[in-house]
Amino acid sequence: MKNSSMFGHRISRRGALKGMAATTAMASLPLPAMAQETTIRWWSPQAAPAQVDAYMAQIAAFEAANPGVKVVFETTSDEGYAPQLAAAFSSGEVPDIVTHLPSFAIQSYYANGLVEPFNDVIEAIGPDDYFDGANDVFRAADGNYVGTGIGNSAANMLWLRKDLMEEAEIADAPRTWDELRAACQAMQKGGIFGAPLPYGRNSMTTLIFVGVIHQAGGQIFDTDLNVALDTQATRDALEFYASMRELCPPGATNYSWGEAITAFVSGATATGIYTGRVLGNVNAQNPPIADSVTCVRYPTASTDIPAWTFNDFPSVFIPKQSSNIDVAEAFAASLFNPDGYIQQLHAAPGHVLPVLKSINENPQYQANEIIQKYPGEVELMAQAAAGGFNLGYESAAHQSNEKAGEVVGSGVIADMVQRVVLNGENADQVIGDTTKAIEDIMAG
Amino acid sequence: MTQKTKTLLERRYSMLGLLLIAPTVLVFCAVIVYPLVSAIYLSLFKIFTPTLEGTWVGLDNYRTLLAKGEFWTSLRTNLIWTVGTLTLQIIFGVGMALVLHQNIWFRSLARSLILFPYFISTVVAVLVWKWLFNDLYGILNHLMMSAGLIDWPLDYLGTMPNAMISVILVGAWKYFPFVVIAVLARLQTIPDHLYEAARIDGAGPIARFFDVTLPQLREVLVVIIMLRAIWDFKEFDLIFLLTGGGPVTSTQTLPLLVYKEAFALNQMGMASAYAVIMMLIMLVFMIIYIRRTRSEDS
Repeated sequence: MKNSSMFGHRISRRGALKGMAATTAMASLPLPAMAQETTIRWWSPQAAPAQVDAYMAQIAAFEAANPGVKVVFETTSDEGYAPQLAAAFSSGEVPDIVTHLPSFAIQSYYANGLVEPFNDVIEAIGPDDYFDGANDVFRAADGNYVGTGIGNSAANMLWLRKDLMEEAEIADAPRTWDELRAACQAMQKGGIFGAPLPYGRNSMTTLIFVGVIHQAGGQIFDTDLNVALDTQATRDALEFYASMRELCPPGATNYSWGEAITAFVSGATATGIYTGRVLGNVNAQNPPIADSVTCVRYPTASTDIPAWTFNDFPSVFIPKQSSNIDVAEAFAASLFNPDGYIQQLHAAPGHVLPVLKSINENPQYQANEIIQKYPGEVELMAQAAAGGFNLGYESAAHQSNEKAGEVVGSGVIADMVQRVVLNGENADQVIGDTTKAIEDIMAG
Repeated sequence: MTQKTKTLLERRYSMLGLLLIAPTVLVFCAVIVYPLVSAIYLSLFKIFTPTLEGTWVGLDNYRTLLAKGEFWTSLRTNLIWTVGTLTLQIIFGVGMALVLHQNIWFRSLARSLILFPYFISTVVAVLVWKWLFNDLYGILNHLMMSAGLIDWPLDYLGTMPNAMISVILVGAWKYFPFVVIAVLARLQTIPDHLYEAARIDGAGPIARFFDVTLPQLREVLVVIIMLRAIWDFKEFDLIFLLTGGGPVTSTQTLPLLVYKEAFALNQMGMASAYAVIMMLIMLVFMIIYIRRTRSEDS
């Protein structure tokens, strides 16, 4: 009797083993190149539908001008970019270009040799076309530029409802914390809360509270980057923030950027704290209040303390591990071509403000419906953002802080807010703990 | 001669056995041994996550983490979460399995629908629950305010103990179907004559449950509890997405702490040390589970 397989052939044990070995060897061989196309990956946390449409138009224009090049857009998030990039850097699977991350994040990456100098791209864009000092925040200790701004943003503007102010008989926009608190108290009624300040354990709470400390006349670091948190200004900031808690919705304990803007745009709060994205969202999502909306710079503890605007300096940079640096540089420069750049800015008018003078003066940019409807607000935000700072660049006198990204990522400042405001812990003790935690990060 | 042939044949069979088992051993080494050894190795270094460059620190990471209050509070939180959610999963799971074991209308449909929370993506489930919990637009607050139970919306996720209770409840909702499936399968194999005998002895429904059903479920419950304890102990996505570990660190379990060290603070070595400690804790569960299953086999 003959043994036969279902295919009619006898397969010996040795033959089967040879076959298995051959199959395994074939599977382990590298795949041949499928095509000669160069593909670059673009990451950004800014991915509202209109913005993605604008990016796609920019990609299409670049691909048309550069046959054989393909650009793939991938979304990251404001809260998630740090871990995603850390994983990307450590695995070597990096995007070729990253946009809209805060400037302090890039400084940290550059300091660790992970970012390509950006000088050539700035030269290609035209350094004289930038607003004065627009690239200062991107200058590294070695004199190179680590990236450039793709826009400016004024992230802590105080948004107001003129109709509610009128109802509450408030004549002028608040200039000090006391005036703000009084205004919020007067407007908090009928299911509308006073303000949507963030108290969550997230980066928004950290970044907004850094601003509040500055609005009290304080700072996180001194100009030599020693931790300078243990001051009366920090105590005042915590006291103010705690006093505002009763004027915010209960869920503000978990608020981040999305919840904060939704609260104001939906009409659930009388004031808001956000960038100019409010303008587009109000017009699209809640038109009845669109004519009543305005903004001012966020109040300070007293009139003799100047306003402090948080600008995260949305950036463009190129990871050093990119295998297509030349293509990525060309693409980065192309992002500033007027047609595409203006479309990108118009996708969120007032939210990302131009960094190039030629664009700001361009009639095509100014022709946007929202920009024309709110000229005063847009101009104010542009001025505030141009003079803005962030944790990596607390003032013009400060050194660039390469550890700012890790301080934000650690959440120690948000924890400080939560411990004092939500848990009612002793402010002195908490400030001491936070100072120690930041010092450890700076030393680490 | 025969002896020689046999030996050669045996040797060839031994070789064949080794060859056949080699792929399994290789896969085991690649997916279990290598990551395990890597984690232990990494935990002995101070490593900057994005570059994976580091310096040898020996056992310093372990000394530091054991001296840190954050480790102990996270471990305590981890245990509260695990015990809390597991208890509810077992109670809901057994209860629902008993209901679905009855001859009720739409039993087949109900048995299918009950699996829904278990199959749904955690991200989707969390988004739905966050919407339900929302202070301004959430249906829970809306219903409670409409019923006059509360005057102001409750903050479900931002204050304690609400945040921990909410996380435990959502965890129980998400994972109790696993208990239902396992218990229901066991219930269907309990011989009817045991219940008949109990009835003849005058046992009511409650007595039948405690004297017949529960003892019959004991073995399967032990296995479920062990497995779910291990899975719940290392739960990350549900807690991270719901509360991020807050308020402050009130719902920060060890997996969230590992994530924070690795990707927020960029300390991969320290994160690995936390992960190794977690593994040791879970090893206790594993040993209990293995002993239990071995005793069942014997």
